Amino acid sequence: MSQKILVWDAPTRVFHWVQALCFLGAYLTSDSEKTRDIHVALGYILFGLIVFRLLWGFIGTRYAKFSSFVYGPSKIISYLVALFKDKAEHYVGHNPVGSVAIWLLLSGGLTLGVTGVMLLQDDVADIVEDIHGYATNAMLAVIAVHLLGVFMSSFLHKENLVRAMITGFKPGEASLGIKCAYNWLAAVMLLIVVGFGVYYLK
Amino acid sequence: MSRVLLSLGLVVTSIFVAPTAQAETPAEILAMIKAEASATAGFQGFSAARGETFFHAKHGGEWSCSSCHTDNPMNEGKHAKTEKLIKPLAPAANAERFTEVKKVEKWFKRNCNDVLDRECTAQEKGDVLSYLMAAGTKHVEAPSAAPVAAQAAVVAPAAAVVHKAATAKKKATS
Repeated sequence: MSQKILVWDAPTRVFHWVQALCFLGAYLTSDSEKTRDIHVALGYILFGLIVFRLLWGFIGTRYAKFSSFVYGPSKIISYLVALFKDKAEHYVGHNPVGSVAIWLLLSGGLTLGVTGVMLLQDDVADIVEDIHGYATNAMLAVIAVHLLGVFMSSFLHKENLVRAMITGFKPGEASLGIKCAYNWLAAVMLLIVVGFGVYYLK
Repeated sequence: MSRVLLSLGLVVTSIFVAPTAQAETPAEILAMIKAEASATAGFQGFSAARGETFFHAKHGGEWSCSSCHTDNPMNEGKHAKTEKLIKPLAPAANAERFTEVKKVEKWFKRNCNDVLDRECTAQEKGDVLSYLMAAGTKHVEAPSAAPVAAQAAVVAPAAAVVHKAATAKKKATS
């Protein structure tokens, strides 16, 4: 039978939760000029984390690698159909529909970061701020779908996907697990994030 | 096929162009605010002097409008938190100011909340805009206590005299 195997490495997990918190915090501090410095600090961290994730997608562990969750349109559609028929195939890593959410969230986050940095410059066209806003709304929509998908898949496959993204472990065959969690790298990431926050908001 | 694409292109373009085609002037925006303020009982018009006081005051909070926009709206300002440069607020120094209703609404909402922890009333917005429109010009304002009607009563006969003189002059020269 299957056992608990390591699927998500520590840097991926740290990335996931810290950028989610940064997005939430940045969103809550977006409407006031009084909290503009906090908003910018969180934005920088989010941007930095996404850049890291883009790199890690090429040099990271098996299920973090982009090559492991690139799916063609036919595969995505057939998975979606199967999901609603309660017959979705179980994926150890990101499933085809989940991976679409990730592509959209990474692109959205990148757009937010780039437009955000542009908005810090002295002479910016109004449209940059508009794009920053549109990207935010798009992210919110995708996040809603992402949360729905996580809960649907968890329910369907009877596994706690949220806990898996915290601990890294999921039920599976031993041969499918990753070998190294890279805990040291996750620790470095956290140090940089906290250090930057303290330095910037001093 | 190409005709369909062209029409589609025109439609898409107009969706982007249409909003930007609606530029207002500061005077038009002031008139809109005035219409809103007139709905309040006891409204007696706007005052640039009152707007100036309002602009510099901290209203019991940490910031005034001046905190970012400086004491003189003709000057470039600086964000109190990020130090980002802010272009001058007075239309006389910056022709883009108060030319888009949506932008005016957005920034009044955000910045009034920053300074006063509430939205500004139409009276306050009108006073401030009057002050900003007067900044950098040679405009001399009538005493703020004078009701709008009294001012109009003074202006109308004077205008009639000017008009009469102009038409008389025209008749003489034609």
